[in-house]
Amino acid sequence: MIPLLILTPAILLAAIGAAWKARPVHAALLLALCLSLVGCLYVAMGAHFIGLVQFSVYVGAVAILIVFSLLITRPSDDDEEKVRRMKTGMPALACSLPLLVMLGFTMFKQSALLEAPADEPAMSLKVLGEILFTDYAPAVLAMAVLLTAVMIGAALFAREPSKKPEPPSDS
Amino acid sequence: MMLGNVEFEMAWLAPEQWPRLPQHLVEWLVALCGLPEWLVSIAGWFTSAGVVVGVFMGLFALLSLIERKTLARVQNRYGPNRAGWFGILQPVADGIKMLTKEDIVPAKADWLLHLLGPVLIVIPSILALGVIPYGQDWVPVPLELGLVFFFAVGAMTEIAVFVAGWASGSKFPMLGAMRAISQMVSYELPLIISALAVVMMSGTLSLPEIVESQGGYTLGFLPQWNLFTPWGLSAGVVFFIACIAEANRCPFDLPEGESEIVAGHMTEYSGFKYALFFIGEYLGLFAISALGITLFLGGWQSPLPIFDFLPSWLWFFAKLAVVIFIFLWIRATFPRVRIDQLMRFAWLCLIPIALLSLPTAAIWHYANKANNDIVAWIATMPLVLIPWVVLTVLFNRRLSPATTRTYHFAE
Amino acid sequence: MNPIAISLTASAILFALGLFAVLSRRNAILVLVGIELMLNAANLNFIAFWRWGGADAALSGPLFVLFSIAIAAAEAAVGLAIILMAFRHTRSNDLNRLDSLHG
Repeated sequence: MIPLLILTPAILLAAIGAAWKARPVHAALLLALCLSLVGCLYVAMGAHFIGLVQFSVYVGAVAILIVFSLLITRPSDDDEEKVRRMKTGMPALACSLPLLVMLGFTMFKQSALLEAPADEPAMSLKVLGEILFTDYAPAVLAMAVLLTAVMIGAALFAREPSKKPEPPSDS
Repeated sequence: MMLGNVEFEMAWLAPEQWPRLPQHLVEWLVALCGLPEWLVSIAGWFTSAGVVVGVFMGLFALLSLIERKTLARVQNRYGPNRAGWFGILQPVADGIKMLTKEDIVPAKADWLLHLLGPVLIVIPSILALGVIPYGQDWVPVPLELGLVFFFAVGAMTEIAVFVAGWASGSKFPMLGAMRAISQMVSYELPLIISALAVVMMSGTLSLPEIVESQGGYTLGFLPQWNLFTPWGLSAGVVFFIACIAEANRCPFDLPEGESEIVAGHMTEYSGFKYALFFIGEYLGLFAISALGITLFLGGWQSPLPIFDFLPSWLWFFAKLAVVIFIFLWIRATFPRVRIDQLMRFAWLCLIPIALLSLPTAAIWHYANKANNDIVAWIATMPLVLIPWVVLTVLFNRRLSPATTRTYHFAE
Repeated sequence: MNPIAISLTASAILFALGLFAVLSRRNAILVLVGIELMLNAANLNFIAFWRWGGADAALSGPLFVLFSIAIAAAEAAVGLAIILMAFRHTRSNDLNRLDSLHG
């Protein structure tokens, strides 16, 4: 309960930064912070393995990918981004606020029914592995195929179109 | 309130228990003061963490001297020999110099991230050192998910390098950070895949259990470490090469190649922040070597049964010294590779071999289960040898761009 | 307030923030940042329901999150590769400039 009360405000603050900051690199780094805090929250909730996987995949791969592509594509000017946000901010708020209200409404109607059980459900790694490779084996295989395809596809997409190098002219 | 109650035991004085003696003593003293139980265990945790950090900071100071001495020996010069006897006080002198230097923050830098960069580099190395089993009874934090924790924490280093490079607000740090990140991401794959082979064989992610699974001796003298099996040899060599790249050591130290990009992501740092980068780098080197020893070299197991009387942590640190010396030796001997060679090597050579060590490990497992050692060797040896030979030949002949390189201006 | 209500509220706000980022950002990469936030809001709900929603011996909550994380990684890789390709064509990662099919 205490980790939950500490972590959720931190997660939300980092997420606000990621959604609002004008500097793209700051937004990406705050996303990394937010996602690693979500990983900590998973650990605090007892899903240790999921928390660590979240940490290594999101911080180690996704956040790195995002900052890297921010560097390759020149990030647009901060002031320009601020001006643009004036134009797009209000409609975006107009769409997301009703959604938030709706989600909150449904949740409060439902969550009163849910009594929080005191005992923590056990998550043994052995059981997780066994379920993963028996009941969920087709899903694991599908995931493996998907990830391989993605790796090859992304490599092909991101390839520089081949050009013959120009021989340097001697001067 | 439960009062802590810890009895003094003579067993704490055994050599095997020496590294944990401070923790026991602090717990005993705190309990003697009549403090509650939770305070006793917190004091114990802090002491045990302090022991690990203290030992490795001491080793860091020692290594910074030994490295310079070894390099000097290889390069036929004296090395540091002014401060103290044989330059033994050189680390102290370096420390004082670093502490008293001015801390410069460039005008274009993002000061908060500029400060966070070096801090974020040191933290994961120290966290990773916490889960390593140093001795039979000396595991600072025995985690069930030790190996996953090690790699998850290691992911933080990449972000830290990026933060340091980007926040400096100039070209060389940025280039250095981009090089460092692409190198770390590429070499993390073979590192994790080769560690996966060990996990497959021992069936656990807990590092102490992995060490225990390597106990025992074949024919009474050959230790059953993972390195002494065909799949383990292949995976171990891949792991070692990937280690060198992850720790940014020569010949893979392109991110800080002095002749190309000044000092990479550390260019705009001075004073103690610069020292923090070095501390982080060396602690990372210790951590990843310790992991390699745990996975492939039998951790704290002694190499011969007759040496069992020595405390187990002594064997761990002896192995650490040997591995670190090989790192130094390689640094002194090999020239730095080029960035395209580096990436090519990771993706075309290391990853296929690392992937092949997984089926090899599976064959070994099933042949061993049928109690058929000879069949296991015969079945797995070609699987290990052929790819190594083929890839070495291919890499030297066809794929290496060095053969097609033309020197336009230096002919 | 019980813990499940706290985590569900957090996840709802996280989702709304992600949607806001997706709709207000014009930089394609930052739109992806918003999508990651939304995915994480969903994952948080799965873990919260597993933890507090009664006994779940089959671990379907954590397993779903595991697969969802893998898919998120794949999505980020492909998405960024596409953004890089678009960047090569238009020299910008502004989504408003990708309008060559505009009638």
